[in-house]
Amino acid sequence: MKRKRTSKTRKIAAHLGAVSFLLLAVSGCPRLREPPPKTLVIGVLADIQNWNPYLTETQFSEDLLALVYPSLAVEMPDYHDHPPAFAPALAQSWNFSENGLDLTFHLRQDLIWSDGQPITADDVVFTWQAQTSEEIGWYGAYTKDFIDSVEKIDKHTVRFRFSQMYPYRLMDANEGLILPAHAWKNIPFEDWHSTPWLAHVIGAGPFVPVAHVPQQDITLAANANYRLGAPAKISRVVWRIVPDQLSLMTQLLAGELDFVSSIAPEEAERIEANADLRLIDIPHRGYTHICWNTTLPELADPRVRRALGLAINRQTIIDTVYRGYAQPSLGPILSTMWAFDTNLQPLPYDPRSAAELLADAGWHDNDGDGTLEKDGRPLALELLTNAENHMRQDICMLVARDLRAIGVSVTPRTVEWGTFLSRLRAGAFDGAVNRWVEPTQIDLEDVWHTVPEGIESSNYGRYSNDRVDGLIEVVNDEQDINLKKKMYRKIQQLIVADQPYTFLVEGRKLRAISTRVRGSIQNDATPYFNLEAWELP
Amino acid sequence: MTRIVLRRLAVIPLLLWVVATVTFAVVQAAPGTYADTIDNPRLTPAARLHIKTLYGLDQGSFDQYLQWLGALVQGDLGRSFLFKQPVTDVITTALPATMLLAGTALVMDLILRILLALISARRPGSWVDRVLTVLSLGVYGLPSFWLAGLAILFFSLKLSWLPASHMASVGADGWSLGARWVDFIRHLILPASILGIVGAASTARYLRASLLDVRKSPHILAARARGLSEKRILWVHTLRPALGPLVTLIGLSLPILVGGSVVVETIFSWPGMGRVMWQAAVARDIPVVMGCTLIGALAVIIGSLVADLLYAWADPRVRPQ
Repeated sequence: MKRKRTSKTRKIAAHLGAVSFLLLAVSGCPRLREPPPKTLVIGVLADIQNWNPYLTETQFSEDLLALVYPSLAVEMPDYHDHPPAFAPALAQSWNFSENGLDLTFHLRQDLIWSDGQPITADDVVFTWQAQTSEEIGWYGAYTKDFIDSVEKIDKHTVRFRFSQMYPYRLMDANEGLILPAHAWKNIPFEDWHSTPWLAHVIGAGPFVPVAHVPQQDITLAANANYRLGAPAKISRVVWRIVPDQLSLMTQLLAGELDFVSSIAPEEAERIEANADLRLIDIPHRGYTHICWNTTLPELADPRVRRALGLAINRQTIIDTVYRGYAQPSLGPILSTMWAFDTNLQPLPYDPRSAAELLADAGWHDNDGDGTLEKDGRPLALELLTNAENHMRQDICMLVARDLRAIGVSVTPRTVEWGTFLSRLRAGAFDGAVNRWVEPTQIDLEDVWHTVPEGIESSNYGRYSNDRVDGLIEVVNDEQDINLKKKMYRKIQQLIVADQPYTFLVEGRKLRAISTRVRGSIQNDATPYFNLEAWELP
Repeated sequence: MTRIVLRRLAVIPLLLWVVATVTFAVVQAAPGTYADTIDNPRLTPAARLHIKTLYGLDQGSFDQYLQWLGALVQGDLGRSFLFKQPVTDVITTALPATMLLAGTALVMDLILRILLALISARRPGSWVDRVLTVLSLGVYGLPSFWLAGLAILFFSLKLSWLPASHMASVGADGWSLGARWVDFIRHLILPASILGIVGAASTARYLRASLLDVRKSPHILAARARGLSEKRILWVHTLRPALGPLVTLIGLSLPILVGGSVVVETIFSWPGMGRVMWQAAVARDIPVVMGCTLIGALAVIIGSLVADLLYAWADPRVRPQ
């Protein structure tokens, strides 16, 4: 009996020993949580698509590759004062011929690729061939539509010849990253789609890739041959791919990540409360709005659309949905743009005037059911948005409540993104809560010009105003910036008077960065604007 | 027997074709294309249209189907729109990760399931049995993303014992092989445990029930009459016959080994099939969705065949004459 107990005790002791050994083995290993020194760890939601810049489509891929490959010039984030200017990069200068059709770039002569080979005019010519190759099928090839030829004048001079005059010649010539001709010209274009590009990357940007584990992480190291600026101060940057926003936040707050460029407003408070993190709050290049379907009899009258806008309390939306990280949106041009009309006044929150306007337009509640009618038809609208975006759903609820108060019945409806888009395109909606993210060059044609027959357009609400059309058609060709400004001002006033959209808010872009990182400049051009100058202790 | 197996193997292409056709129709019926889903505000409508043409998405659904089927017959699953590589490469990269995770989870699941059932069935109705029942039903009822979140909060954030995501730590590529293995196992523990525990909790009850059924059968009474110890009766004479249905379940687990778990793989940033399939579905990456579906369908078909064979091997009564 006694012997048996001893063996049982021994057994238990052995089990306990084994379990504690396992636990020790697992938890006692070198603490791996802290990243190695001089390594910056960035959290992102999705992986890079390809290491060849002409075979990618996502914004993250483009932002990352811009750290590896050079461009002729760099667009400056100075669109607040004038159309964006360009700063020299590979090209130290450029000039147009007298007729404006020839654009000559003079390349810097001291630049080399990461493998030590010189950067020459051949690289620029080769890049243009790749950009316009049908076998490659780059989505941005349309920016080269008016470029007839790109010729090497000498080793460091290259000339772009345009087929016609238009304002975006420099922008279009500069579009796309420059490729290493000496290394890539041996790979036929038809093989590009099936080439594993990581092994072929030769860059001239501040960083070069050293490792990529698909769907896990991307590692870049400082390029020892970088000559466009001072060499990168951080030796290694790792992008951790975390496909879930909640996990991304968890890892950020746990100190595993140094930088995350997508922070939702409701997460801002936790970032600010964390002593190791700093919240970055910059203007976002987007505005959220309700697009009204102007072809519907209920919404064809601008007075009705204005009334709807007057009855919506934007401040409540800003305070609750955006937690204060937003400002009222006033019109079709962002308030951060040089062409924005500073005289525009925000539509006030004025339900009383809204009700009067609706009465003027013939809408009355004759049967006392709380909903206005006209000719026996109730003013009942469906407000469409996409289910993936809970902020837009919240906006729908708030708008429905506000409009209910003036007798407009609103049913919020959420659908999946693909369905949302196809319903917008088909015009199968009453009102839709959506957001436009604006490029740095102003182009109002796609959204505001009357939809031409048989052409796909983003003017989902089928807004049409002859005066707006006429101005949009001439403003692009106007060279004088003051006249341009005047035309844009007129366009904004006309659109705001018509209220085809209820302009809701311009959001803010929120990012989080570890307090151990120094020297980062944040703007909305790219989250990695001056990554080479960031410093770690 | 061989003829039955051969006959079932022969219908596999037909079954796959049916699955593929139905899936293709469903994917095509979903609104929007890959070109619409790309997250890039710099893409103009012209650029999106161009991308549509590039991938042949501007053609009719039937034309796309014929092209896809034609390539498939030649063994070509096509190229992924989203991942920019052949679908076979996407799958061969994701499959090992999923098999490692789901395989470890399955082993944990089986061990845990047998242990739970044995403990419960030893004294049915006792407080141990009741507590285990409530616990396993409770775990079964919880959504796995919540359990995963809880595990991360506790084991990663509070205790800092285990990493919260990925298959390797930052900088692990520079370590020795041994250290990298330990690092990998540390990353495997949390996601595999979540999958294993949820699996065991949902099925331990079945094994317990069949254990109890077997206990009532005459051969157990005979064993007792022969004076065998209760331990031997439970482990040998009860457990073995009760494991029959379990064998089938293992066969049916094959699809999970291949398909992976969307939720757990996404939360733990595990680069497996579930996550790939989900990303592809959201991005309307038709070739990848089709490829994953075919692999999944194949796993279901083979899995049920294997289950039947295993069952026939374990239980002579169901063997075809």
